[in-house]
Amino acid sequence: MSEAPIFHSKYSYHHDGKAQQLDIHEILVKRSRLGIFLSYFMVVVFLGTNVYFVTTKVFCILILTFFEVNIRSIWSILVCFLLAKFLHYNPVKKERVVIMPAFGVQLETHYWSGRIVRLFVPISKILSSMLNECVTPVTCYWSLALLLRDEGELMLVFQLIRFVQKLQPPLKMLVPVWKALRAAINCEETSIT
Amino acid sequence: MDQQRKHSILMVSDFFYPNFGGVESHIYYLSQCLLKLGHKTEPDLNAFAFKIGLVVVMTHSYGKRTGVRYVTNGLKVYYVPWRAFLMQNTLPTFYLTLPIIRTILIRERISIVHGHQAFSTLCHEALMHARTMGYKVVFTDHSLYGFADVGSIHMNKVLQFTLADISQAICVSHTSKENTVLRSGITPNRVFVVPNAVDTAMFTPSTCRLSCDEIVIVVISRLVYRKGADLLVEVIPEVCHLFSNKFHVKLCLLIASSVKVRFIVGGDGPKRVRLEEMREKHSLQDRVEMLGAVPHARVRSVLISGHIFLNSSLTEAFCIAILEAASCGLLTVLPDDMIVLSEPDPGDMVHAIRKAIVMLPSIDPYAMHQRMKKLYSWHDVAKRTEIVYDRALQSSDENLLRRLPRYLKCGSWAGKMFCLVMIVNFLLWCLLDSWQPVESIEEVPDLVFIRNENEDVVHDSI
Repeated sequence: MSEAPIFHSKYSYHHDGKAQQLDIHEILVKRSRLGIFLSYFMVVVFLGTNVYFVTTKVFCILILTFFEVNIRSIWSILVCFLLAKFLHYNPVKKERVVIMPAFGVQLETHYWSGRIVRLFVPISKILSSMLNECVTPVTCYWSLALLLRDEGELMLVFQLIRFVQKLQPPLKMLVPVWKALRAAINCEETSIT
Repeated sequence: MDQQRKHSILMVSDFFYPNFGGVESHIYYLSQCLLKLGHKTEPDLNAFAFKIGLVVVMTHSYGKRTGVRYVTNGLKVYYVPWRAFLMQNTLPTFYLTLPIIRTILIRERISIVHGHQAFSTLCHEALMHARTMGYKVVFTDHSLYGFADVGSIHMNKVLQFTLADISQAICVSHTSKENTVLRSGITPNRVFVVPNAVDTAMFTPSTCRLSCDEIVIVVISRLVYRKGADLLVEVIPEVCHLFSNKFHVKLCLLIASSVKVRFIVGGDGPKRVRLEEMREKHSLQDRVEMLGAVPHARVRSVLISGHIFLNSSLTEAFCIAILEAASCGLLTVLPDDMIVLSEPDPGDMVHAIRKAIVMLPSIDPYAMHQRMKKLYSWHDVAKRTEIVYDRALQSSDENLLRRLPRYLKCGSWAGKMFCLVMIVNFLLWCLLDSWQPVESIEEVPDLVFIRNENEDVVHDSI
């Protein structure tokens, strides 16, 4: 059974519960055009700065000037690189959770470049799924995680942090996925007992 | 009866569990009793206009204890990952705590922010941000401070800034109220006195009464100057000499005294070295037992091993330790028949101890415990605090321009600086509001805790 899609300013949630006994939950990430433009602009600035320093100062032989060039160029390169990365366009297109009852859960990450990263977790390895409230020094957000047997750490269902990119889907999108995971895990426990 | 509005309280302080102390236990017990008041099902004709729906505590992280934790009865605690930098206080950054405080206030639907302890930097910053955002704020002061030294002058100025625009303030005793009013310049009619209480269920007397052949005097406090550790160094040898198991006739008392007195000293601090030296000098190793730092869970077991509780503090805003000792049936400070007071002078203290030893046979520990139960109760404290919240919520909402003149009264230079700080805070808040609107912050769904026969089960309303 499918639920109605949920829309948000940055994300949208889709559920397909009819496809061949698979339970598929998708969270799509919207792309920001301003972010793409700014990121390309900063990449151009970064490359231009780098080329300027390399071509005009590399042949300088004075130690003091070389030291000064090093500091200035490193600083400029670092700032431009960080800005470009910070405003970099969203590489993640969508996150997908495929629940195969009595078999396992597949976590997929689809990138805009076409690359897909898949991770399969057998149902017997999952103890429980949980919604965590994460607190950082500046904000709080919800995350969905799996508690695995014989593992010391939780496995995040949606890879929330990729370098400087933050994926923080709202709670109303995480709840249906959490409920579906719990139902699948509880079914498995019932069938074992 | 009309449906009562439910309000949420945010308690903010740098001092909370897993630390143990007066402020920590005050916040914990008050929060628990407020939660119980909020879930009362029988109608109360004297109820106020609102009910407490939710109580949330905010503090800094303690080691690896960071994030959201739930303690007894679903009390939610935010351990914000800001490191403590000095004496368990968060590093004061003025504006950097604005985003996290704003997020917590919005997602928990907070109505009142209640800060604790003047020494807590997180409390001052939270109250400043809460006032900027238009929330009602209440502040509780737990300690007495001086006026003369550099540290106190600085602290009093910070307190003046915080209390310049506060809704209501609470002090734990009348002496504390006088001290707070003098230090901060707040008008006295906005300060309420709500005393602390003691958990009498935890501090009960021993089942078997101790023999009076050997009198045991218990001292449990931090061994610092303010707690009178220097007085102890002079009093203990004197008392041990007076009551040293010799047949001793005092003409003034006309009694033959053959009691022996022993001391148990619990606690740690910079003055411990002096006490150890005193033990060595007077060869009192068998009569003065030093326990070191006593965990809060073991305090009762130490108290019931004694007959008399000695408190030598030079100043106390409200001494919970004395209430705990009295609840355990020790002779201490309280109504005339439960107390022996003395001046902070060694000779006077020795005289008072002698008087206490004479009074000892007539003391009934269980009767003392029952009286304490009636006099000091956290439920009573919670009800009185609700009155303060009610008064705070009735105060009018004011914009920045009407609030700024209150800061100007703090001093010729300080006033202007405080105004500037508040204006910058307001601008930062507006910027944050436009970057991350209120609608983008999700509210936390209500969690209902259902107690099963065997275990607690969380049933959420998602």
